[in-house]
Amino acid sequence: MNWLEYHSDSEKFASLADSALKKGDIDEAVKYYKEAAKAEEQAISFLDLSKKRTLGITVISTASLYFKGKEFGKAELIIHKWLGSDKLPEFATNQLEIILQTIWNEKSFQKAGVEFTKGTVLISVSGGMIVLGGAPLDLIHRKVDEVKNIFYRIIEMQLKRPFRKRGAPPSEIQEQFRPWLFQAAPGSYQFAVRIQKPAQLSLFPDEEPEIEEVTGKFFEVLEASAKGSHEELIKIIPNEDYRDSFIKLTRNLAPTGKSFGKLEIKSAIDKDFLPITFMPESRKALNKTLHSSKKKSEKDIKLTEKQLSGILRALHLDKDWIEINIPEESDTVRIYQTGDVIDDIVGPMVNQNILVDVLVTPEGKYIFQDIQSDE
Amino acid sequence: MDLPILPLNKLENRHVGLTEAIAECFCEAAFVCLDRNHTPPQDFDLLGDDFEKKAMVDWIPPDERCKRAWANKDDATRDGAYACALAATELCLGLYAVRRAETLTGADYYVGPDTNSAEDLESCFRLEVSGTDMDSYEVRRRLKNKVRQAAVGKSNLPAMAAVVGFKVKKILIEKVFETL
Repeated sequence: MNWLEYHSDSEKFASLADSALKKGDIDEAVKYYKEAAKAEEQAISFLDLSKKRTLGITVISTASLYFKGKEFGKAELIIHKWLGSDKLPEFATNQLEIILQTIWNEKSFQKAGVEFTKGTVLISVSGGMIVLGGAPLDLIHRKVDEVKNIFYRIIEMQLKRPFRKRGAPPSEIQEQFRPWLFQAAPGSYQFAVRIQKPAQLSLFPDEEPEIEEVTGKFFEVLEASAKGSHEELIKIIPNEDYRDSFIKLTRNLAPTGKSFGKLEIKSAIDKDFLPITFMPESRKALNKTLHSSKKKSEKDIKLTEKQLSGILRALHLDKDWIEINIPEESDTVRIYQTGDVIDDIVGPMVNQNILVDVLVTPEGKYIFQDIQSDE
Repeated sequence: MDLPILPLNKLENRHVGLTEAIAECFCEAAFVCLDRNHTPPQDFDLLGDDFEKKAMVDWIPPDERCKRAWANKDDATRDGAYACALAATELCLGLYAVRRAETLTGADYYVGPDTNSAEDLESCFRLEVSGTDMDSYEVRRRLKNKVRQAAVGKSNLPAMAAVVGFKVKKILIEKVFETL
């Protein structure tokens, strides 16, 4: 036997594992991945070590196959063995380190009895006040909150729940789909988010595939919102309320350029998801998308448009008003007819700088049009 | 003049890196993706570093059962793109999938001129594939991104990036050369 024969065996077992996975037979897939890993490990022992590229690829392949075959110990062993050698090219070292980190995460989740849906979202902010590995706590807290709100909306949409206009997500959704925050390797400031799989999947008997795809949908929705392609948005988010809400939630994620200059969202592992980048210009583009989809009544057209800048101090959405504190005015200013404002959009803005678009009546009363953060 | 046919069928007979099951699976996914946008047959533009040609793409419209089996659009687009990209590298560059190696989230395919080139992976190209139902701008953007990903140094170069635009009927291929 030689490298080629063992590697061919490994390919056959891996293909069988893929086919089993496509049929949903996870046990069978795991069995074949283990066989594939064993064959691939054998292949390494027959390899001329001067063939660095082939060696690197084969070691990555072996570690990945053991990982997919749930043989975490064996995967770790082979990674440590080869990381400790000076035989591997740089790309292989980098990829083996990622596999190792993933194994450690999976082991600790297993120990804690926690399972996650597919995919990890990596969010990084940079520019402005952001330094390497550090950022103002209130800014990060707000971004984490905004990401969490988008995830809950996506979960509700995936579960075909009616659009929620008031309050927090239903308790069973909060209990069953807990978002987790993970530290990520520093480079500007980064954090990672994953969604815990419901412990009681039986509560959602018909929606398991949708649940598994929550993170994929997150990328899809954000990418379409960021592009502002109306046609694509309608295709991905047919419900108008959800669509409008996602554009507003996405706009709040985008920087104004004052405290940070760029926010990037990407998959931590899957390179098929292209990074989605938000710059101050993205916010302007999202504003344009929102305003172009908004129809004004005959009555509204006669009123004066104005943008107020201040701090959101109070809100009573059931009574249809919000109050803001404008620096040059002594009293807070009340803005009426906030009908469209949604809790999870406006919630993270309390006590924060905001911009509110209003219409001013001849009597000087402010009528709400739109609100966005102005961090 | 008759257009050449994009060789989607029986990929496993020519691409030794594919098993029959995987080749059938890729081909079925391609039919689902093609059928989402068009009726057969259709002319596709195949564009690369040093070639530009048209090919006819023909397929059997998938039945309801097959469409249901490929209800996950992301999976169908990824696997369908593999079938079209491999058929295009075969037709335009004379390159075939000769080896497969696992990664954490899937598998990479390596292409070479013939099975003899598969005795190791030293000179094979790793094929980076992406598929989309979006417009030409997005197809080009994805290609640019794939090329960038392949060239950032964390990849096992040399590589080749291919993007399949199912809706706009384009397959773009670019080589990424770099030494380790």
